[in-house]
Amino acid sequence: MDECQSAIPAHDGDLHVVAAAHHIVKALGTTKNLSDDLRKILIDLDAHLSLITSNIDSKGGKGFVEVEERLKRVERKIVIWESDRIMIWDSGPKEASDYLEAVDEVQTLIDSLRGLSMNENQKQKELLHRASSLLQMAMSRLEEELIHMLVKHKQQSEPTYIPSPSSQRNVVYNESVVSLDNESVKEALSKNSCTDECGEYIVDLVPEHVIPDIKSIAKVMFASDYGQEFCEAFIGVRKEALEQHFDILENGKLSIEDLLKMEWCSLSTEMNKWTWSMKIIVGVYLMSEKRLCDQVLGKFGSVNSFCFLEIAKTTILCLLNFGEAIAMGPQEPEKLLRLLDMYETLADLVIDIDALFSEDGGSFVRLEFHKLLEGLADSVKAAFNAFGVAVSSNGSLYPFPGGGVHPLSKYVMNYISMFPEYCSTLNLLLEDQHSDVASLVSEPQCGPTASLSTSCPMACHLRSITSSLESNLHKKSKLHKDEALQHIFLMNNLHYMVQKVKGSELRPFFGDEWIRKHNAKFQQHEMNYERVTWSSVVLLLKDDNPGSSSLSKSAFKEKCKGFSVAFEEVYKNQTSWCIPDPQLREDLRISTSLKVVHAYRTFLGRNPAHVDDKCIKHTVEDVEKLLLDLFEGSPRSLRNSRRMMKT
Amino acid sequence: MDTQEQELEDIELFQKHVSDRFTELSSPPEDDALLSVSWLHRLLDVFLCCEAEFEAILIMDRDPSQLSKPPFDRLIPEFIERAVKALDICNAVANGVDSVRHCQKLSEIVISALDQNPLGDGHAKRAKKALLMLLSAMNLDDKEGTHVKATERSWSFGRRGVNKEQIAGHFRSLSWQVAKNWSSAKQIQSMMYNLVAPRGAEASGLPSPIYTMNVIMIFVMWALVAAIPCQERNGLPTHFPVPKQLNWAHSLIGLQEKIADEWKKKEKKGMSGLLDELQKMEKLAQSLIDFTDSFHFPGDAEKVKEAAANVSELKEIFGRMDQGLTPLQMHIREVFHRIVRSRTEFLDVLEKGSAPVV
Repeated sequence: MDECQSAIPAHDGDLHVVAAAHHIVKALGTTKNLSDDLRKILIDLDAHLSLITSNIDSKGGKGFVEVEERLKRVERKIVIWESDRIMIWDSGPKEASDYLEAVDEVQTLIDSLRGLSMNENQKQKELLHRASSLLQMAMSRLEEELIHMLVKHKQQSEPTYIPSPSSQRNVVYNESVVSLDNESVKEALSKNSCTDECGEYIVDLVPEHVIPDIKSIAKVMFASDYGQEFCEAFIGVRKEALEQHFDILENGKLSIEDLLKMEWCSLSTEMNKWTWSMKIIVGVYLMSEKRLCDQVLGKFGSVNSFCFLEIAKTTILCLLNFGEAIAMGPQEPEKLLRLLDMYETLADLVIDIDALFSEDGGSFVRLEFHKLLEGLADSVKAAFNAFGVAVSSNGSLYPFPGGGVHPLSKYVMNYISMFPEYCSTLNLLLEDQHSDVASLVSEPQCGPTASLSTSCPMACHLRSITSSLESNLHKKSKLHKDEALQHIFLMNNLHYMVQKVKGSELRPFFGDEWIRKHNAKFQQHEMNYERVTWSSVVLLLKDDNPGSSSLSKSAFKEKCKGFSVAFEEVYKNQTSWCIPDPQLREDLRISTSLKVVHAYRTFLGRNPAHVDDKCIKHTVEDVEKLLLDLFEGSPRSLRNSRRMMKT
Repeated sequence: MDTQEQELEDIELFQKHVSDRFTELSSPPEDDALLSVSWLHRLLDVFLCCEAEFEAILIMDRDPSQLSKPPFDRLIPEFIERAVKALDICNAVANGVDSVRHCQKLSEIVISALDQNPLGDGHAKRAKKALLMLLSAMNLDDKEGTHVKATERSWSFGRRGVNKEQIAGHFRSLSWQVAKNWSSAKQIQSMMYNLVAPRGAEASGLPSPIYTMNVIMIFVMWALVAAIPCQERNGLPTHFPVPKQLNWAHSLIGLQEKIADEWKKKEKKGMSGLLDELQKMEKLAQSLIDFTDSFHFPGDAEKVKEAAANVSELKEIFGRMDQGLTPLQMHIREVFHRIVRSRTEFLDVLEKGSAPVV
């Protein structure tokens, strides 16, 4: 007779207790409206009690007959699938739940057999062994089913929302932009608003209806201590899926060495890709993966965050490494906008990152990204400073031909017209440098026109930069020997600056006061030009003896000649000069015309006797027409224009 | 001159410290075998200490313009370039530690499977499956482009393969964080390029600690690459061109030669990392897989006992990995950040010291 120990009552009295308990359980089992969980508990209890009674009732090996029967039944159910080519979960929900029930049964049998600590019993040992082999077979099968399910549904659930970085602003700001006219520049550089709107966006990485199946497999595997295999399989498939998404975004996985040496055009593209990838990977895919992990593994302690970390680690660290390489690099002025993009994106996402990696294991990820954010902030400041230095130190060896708008003015004004987009970030980052700049800015903004926007840190820095530009332009103007050309040059450039401020988002930051002052400046140069060029010429036509009669022939001839020579000199020089802005050109022509033509007409009018003389080289109409040739930018000689006028 | 004497003293002290630290590393206590996780921690500490002293000597209280003149106008930028290469290695190795952690995870399954009494066929099968994955993970061909994808492996023959046990492939695709054509071996080689010991007058001046620090940096990176699997280690140089006469270098050279010997031995057999724990794990896995192959319930008592001993050893290794691997990654990150800072410092010095731009 076997000696039952611990869990098994040995006395007859206990038999009654067991029998009574069994009876109650059976009675409860017939109750309607039992919840599934409760029913399961009762079934388990029933099985245990059956086992106990059958053991007690028996002598020796006979006691395990029922157990063996049950084992045989469940063995059939499990083994039959081994030779089948079809997947259980593909076959149908009934097959799946039957299989899971069978596995449950095996686990129950094992628990019960273990509960009987009858070490000497051969039969028990044999049955236990059979059951645990069967369990391993089932677990192995469940692992395969799981992987199959995840892989099959992974492919079907690719979100059609696969963004392309080409929709983002991908224009590289370099010298070539300078040659574009204003409209196309604006268009080329304008932001795609879609990229901004991309906040969190959780997708179903695995279709909703599959989740319960995965969970049911998880439950069974974890209950049988095969949770590790479940995680291993789950992580494997999900990690691969995430890395495929990452690959689609075409991140080059470049080494730090390569990135530090990369030329600007390619680097700008890579930085764009990073910004985009961060939004998609962190904002969409990682949030979704985390949700999936929580859904599937939420009940099993800290397993869900462990699995998520393993799935996400490689990808997120790849993104981190790129960011660090950029923060390390030399911060040239042209990088500023891309750095701002990177900074803003990370600043937006850092909260998500904190939430995703909130557990201990992920704390280093959080720390590193916070460090990176600081690093990028420093990079932005450095690039901004470098920009300022570049503006003031930009040197020229030769005067700018034609006196038109200097490329430096175009570069600077076009570049800074994009800063208002980043206003809040720049204000934040430039705040501590505000105090140094405020003192440099020579035009304090006060009075009724002053507002928050003109006094914010970014506005102060912008005015400091344009102030630098002005100083530089003054230096450059001195390279022109001709004083008139110096004034034309400055007039052109200052006018350009004002137009740029008026016609862009810079306006509120510079304010009306600034515009007024700078309008006055270029108008001053306009007047200076006129004085320098035409005063002496007009002087030649002046009436030396007002009130007297007309001049003598020789005096008249002399004056005419003097005027012609001077006029032709100006014509020869100044037709090659350039005033790009049509309005400004027109203004100057009108103003010049008024002065010069009027003086000439008056002069001729006062000496009507000599009007038909051949010494008059040019008629008033000639002079008028010739003046129109000025500032066209192409040098002309008088002979050419003469011929043209005659035909 | 006072400052010059002081400088010479500082340099001598620095090199003495270097020598001492590497001597200590050469004779590790018993449970701290060469290239074990804890030994690597100590190696990284040595690097951080040496680097701190080096920076102090070169930068502190020094007129920056001194470092912009020859030969420093060549030596410093070269050092900075090597530092950048070291950064890429740090990242690759930190990534590689993840693959070692994967091995650790797989060994956990093996332990769960075999730590049963009585051991059954089911347990043995479970262990064998995990062991196969473990061995394939350790001997993964670390050539670029050989990702083993979960989707390719088992499902290329329809649903079930001919022999289920053979399907125990490496379910986790081992994706490297680094660029496709990046090679850790080549990186080390290029770090060694142009590394020439200072001669004559330079040998007693500042060029000497610069050379020393270069050698230390290269050695540390080299040892990490040898220990931890990372992309493309084929062709890892085994010879360091460091002259033996240098007193401070003796222990370092000794260590280097020991590790190089091990490397050469293992290279022929195909490579997991030289990491002590990995090596031991591999041996245990091999003998355990033989055991599980031949096991039939209830099994030979002797063999079962032997297997139990192996499992117990495996548990110990698992424990060491569990404790030390994640901190190792953190430690490598610390080294990474230190090198970044150091590079920035030296770049600043060069900028300050060079002629101001008009």
